[in-house]
Amino acid sequence: MNWKQRQHTFRLSDRDRPGPTGLVFDIQRFAVHDGGGIRTLVFLKGCPLRCQWCQNPESMFPGPEILRIPHNCISCVKCMTLCPQQAICYDGGGEIGIDRVRCDLCGDCVTSCYAGSMTIVGRYLTAGEVMEEVDRDRKFYAESGGGVTFSGGEPTAQPDFLLSCLRAAKARGLHTAVETCGHSPWETLAALRDVVDLFLCDIKHMDTARHRELTGMPNERILDNIARLSQAGSAVRLRLPLVPGANDSEANIVASAQFAAGLPTLEGFDILPYHRLGEAKWRQLGRVYPMHDVAPHTREDVLAKACLAGQHVGGVGIGG
Amino acid sequence: MSQHQVQAPELHGPTQRTTAALARFVDTTPSICPERAMLITESYKETEALPMVLRRAKALEKILAGMPIFIQDGELIVGNQASKPRSAPIFPEFSCKWVEAELDRLANRTADVFLISEETKAKLRQAFAYWDGKTTNEFAAAMMPPQALEAHNDVVYTVGNYFYNGVGHISVDYDKAISQGLSSVIAAARQALEALDYADAEQLKKRHFLEAVIIANQAVIDFAGRFATLASSMAADCADPIRRDELTEIARICRKVPAQPAETFHEAVQAFWFVHLVIQIESNGHSISPMRFDQYMEPYHARDKGRVLPEKAQELLDLLWIKFAELNKVRDENSTMAFAGYPMFMNLIVGGQKRDGSDATNDLSFMCLQAAANTKLYAPSLSIRIHEGTPAALYKKAGEISRLGMGYPAYYNDRVIIPALLARGLTREDARDYGIIGCVEPQVGGKTEGWHDAAFFNMGKVMELALNDGVDKRTGKQIGPKSGSLETFKTFDDVMASYKAQTAYFVRLMAAADNAVDMAHAIRCPLPFLSSLVDDCIAAGKSLQEGGAHYNFTGPQGVGVANAGDCLTAIKKLVFDDRLLTLAELRQALDSDFEGREDLRQMLLNRAPKYGNDDDYADAVAKEAARIYCEEVNRYVNPRGGRFQPGLYPASANVPLGSVVAATPDGRKAWSPLADGVSPISGCDTCGPTASVLSVAKLDHEIASNGTLLNQKFHPTALEGDQGLNNLKAVTETYFQNGGFHVQYNVISRETLLEAQAQPEAYKNLVVRVAGYSAFFTALDKSLQDDIIARTEQTF
Ligand code: SF4
Ligand code: SF4
Repeated sequence: MNWKQRQHTFRLSDRDRPGPTGLVFDIQRFAVHDGGGIRTLVFLKGCPLRCQWCQNPESMFPGPEILRIPHNCISCVKCMTLCPQQAICYDGGGEIGIDRVRCDLCGDCVTSCYAGSMTIVGRYLTAGEVMEEVDRDRKFYAESGGGVTFSGGEPTAQPDFLLSCLRAAKARGLHTAVETCGHSPWETLAALRDVVDLFLCDIKHMDTARHRELTGMPNERILDNIARLSQAGSAVRLRLPLVPGANDSEANIVASAQFAAGLPTLEGFDILPYHRLGEAKWRQLGRVYPMHDVAPHTREDVLAKACLAGQHVGGVGIGG
Repeated sequence: MSQHQVQAPELHGPTQRTTAALARFVDTTPSICPERAMLITESYKETEALPMVLRRAKALEKILAGMPIFIQDGELIVGNQASKPRSAPIFPEFSCKWVEAELDRLANRTADVFLISEETKAKLRQAFAYWDGKTTNEFAAAMMPPQALEAHNDVVYTVGNYFYNGVGHISVDYDKAISQGLSSVIAAARQALEALDYADAEQLKKRHFLEAVIIANQAVIDFAGRFATLASSMAADCADPIRRDELTEIARICRKVPAQPAETFHEAVQAFWFVHLVIQIESNGHSISPMRFDQYMEPYHARDKGRVLPEKAQELLDLLWIKFAELNKVRDENSTMAFAGYPMFMNLIVGGQKRDGSDATNDLSFMCLQAAANTKLYAPSLSIRIHEGTPAALYKKAGEISRLGMGYPAYYNDRVIIPALLARGLTREDARDYGIIGCVEPQVGGKTEGWHDAAFFNMGKVMELALNDGVDKRTGKQIGPKSGSLETFKTFDDVMASYKAQTAYFVRLMAAADNAVDMAHAIRCPLPFLSSLVDDCIAAGKSLQEGGAHYNFTGPQGVGVANAGDCLTAIKKLVFDDRLLTLAELRQALDSDFEGREDLRQMLLNRAPKYGNDDDYADAVAKEAARIYCEEVNRYVNPRGGRFQPGLYPASANVPLGSVVAATPDGRKAWSPLADGVSPISGCDTCGPTASVLSVAKLDHEIASNGTLLNQKFHPTALEGDQGLNNLKAVTETYFQNGGFHVQYNVISRETLLEAQAQPEAYKNLVVRVAGYSAFFTALDKSLQDDIIARTEQTF
């Protein structure tokens, strides 16, 4: 069964299969902005931070959850009729609503929804199953200098699973990258060093109080981990998600760039312009998007900020 | 091989002269020119007593001597096809009933508009009166078995292209014409003539052909002479001394070539142009392809190095590119749906291997790519051959051009095409020397009559008939054999057997239809000038149309591989494997075009694996569907003694062919387009470009030796920077290592296209690739524009 076919059904019991499984919410092929060359991106579900601008809100919660895509719905009401918990019904506005408390994630609605409107995000996979998907594009990695990137969520939040995946990738001779927010025990990161060729580290804000406001967590451990990874000799790319009004002040950009410049193994500093492509997913998960009113930067703004960063650190890039 | 040794030469942007010529081109609306139609009608009236091939030569002579000629401001390469730039001549000898019927609509139809004056209409009507019953079209129709004509009319296949038009689809021996001159062709014909023994009936037959060759070649030389005279007289009247010198030089060159061997690059380009132009005037076929231009032109370019500034050489190429785009052809309104955007499909290919297997890249390979960037026109169709020894620098330059979003160059895989041609009986040297005709069809130039675009075979329609016991849902007529239906199938093998039976039946009829048209051309429209530049016509003493070429083929294309594959996959998976659906439910859903059964349509769309996602289940079925078509085609032989060979590409016929096909089990609504080429169905390849090309590479591309076509679209951000070029190369390389045949890239955002659709004025020069050729987007029919927009945008 390939990743695409897995989306048609859901079984909670998959988690209890023998051997380590991990919770994966997406596998994307032909990713070209996450570690060099053509890559497959494996997204692990669950994250310790709660960034307000998160464009993958389905990545936060460390368990499977219902996500309904209304524009796929053809109103066949099969899901409503079939749900054993009667968790699905029309809400006041005539829209289909889900009672997420009643729902016990049996997956019946997913199987019955041919239109792909009722979905559950998160599948429990073994490292072997992940690698089956990753293996498919090996020729492209070899031709382009690409490989596999583990992202999230926060991939290091499932340390054993991540390590088995990375070991399997290394055993195949693949280039490996891990995209991390850095908020994990140092021991976890240290254990990955041997099997990771490149760490893509996000920094959200240099001021810890502000960091806590924006993400729910302070930044000391994050900055410390990044510095230690680099000092220990791991290649690092820093990435700053540039969010209007949150972390785009001159002072923060300069401080971030200076921090980056101090890393001995820095491979580059990427500015990731804020966009709103993930906004709908907040609604589809039954949540409220905290940054609804924030307009993205203009292209000129982003360029100006990148120039500013460039005065303090080399290898500044835009995009991701 | 030493990849790193080849470096790109210094390249130059457009000159002022080029820019001015481009501006003039874009501002010219095509029109209809009556001159050719009048001249050929007069000539035919004068020559009724003569054998056909001589009548053709005399007609060409009269046209070239009598048609209006002109030299435009700043032109360095001269030679016009009709009375105005971009105007199209008319070819009544092939068919003219449709022209007459559509005369009043040409100027206000939805795509490919041609201006036409009342005076022109009157002249044409007068000429057409002569042709009733005399055209190749009427002759072919008379020769065609009625069932074959009926299936054509029901659009199970269409042999329309050569049924109504000239054949074209050829590349002549440009090298011989340029390096030895047409005088040498005349001399060869004379010699052959002198050796004939007229007492032998077989040899007597050759006489008229050889005489026709002499007349036709002399007519071309005299045509060049008219330009020499015109340039001289313009020079005499010219006040600007620089232009005067240019005109004098043009006059000198036109007196020399194409009669005598060319020596300078300018002479070679001019000689090339006269030959290429007259082939267009002699017959109205499209896809007359320069092919390996960088190979046969490089000696002249190399010789001029140091004597001619490189920007001057580039300018000549750029001006030639504009001349290519000025060639035009009017098609009937229906064909315009299939061939939209004034395309001439003149394929020019660079790089690849030489006859000895070494890398063929030279300075001109790069300069041709540069010419495409400088002119940003839809012609010629630019292609590049890729082999193990393709220099990194050429790959990079090609990627830079791809990234401009014009859809070219198209990439071709030597590793698959050379073995495919060997399997068709070409010698190893000839196979290595292949070029591309039209959209994607490989052949060796100067010795092949490939009849490459013989027909479009509607695999979607065949699928509909296979599920419906041979009854056409659109008309209710029984048109195919009774091969079973959704009511009677017991196993998936029954379904496959029915698909196979319908395919076999209609391929057989298609072969009959093609052969009838083929014979009609041989009898009614032999082409002496074209034939004289293709081996072995002079030696064999017969025209190309009568089988004079060294290699002969007929290549009909299957359209809708992805649809046929995904239909069969859906039935196999949902009905027989998973038992989610019964055949009766499917029948009812299809009959009602999914009215009230959207849930089943969604099941068919989303629950069955789809070709184009690197899913082995779906890909294996698509491969089998393609193979069945290809093997049926392989059975047949044409009247020129050559074999039929299948292709899998659509031009843009996937839209009109789809418009006669009822709802299908791939979840496709009735009358909507089929998938194009071997590309997955729009919107069904949801796993990105790598999965998409891996899927497509699983088909057997070698058996489809008349060409397969893959359209792959990228968002510009996926190709940014050197890394982007590298990624593009990695996709091409992997596709080719896995056995792909051709790939072309569209690098345009959906937003841009939508905007262009809304404000065509602002996007007059936006070029997109439409399944095998590039066209001005705004010149396309709305439904085709929509189809291009709907093609999956591959981002991540
Ligand atoms: S099953 Fe799917 S399509 Fe049908 S009503 Fe439920 S969400 Fe909508
Ligand atoms: S997953 Fe939840 S909503 Fe869906 S059928 Fe089961 S209980 Fe009902």
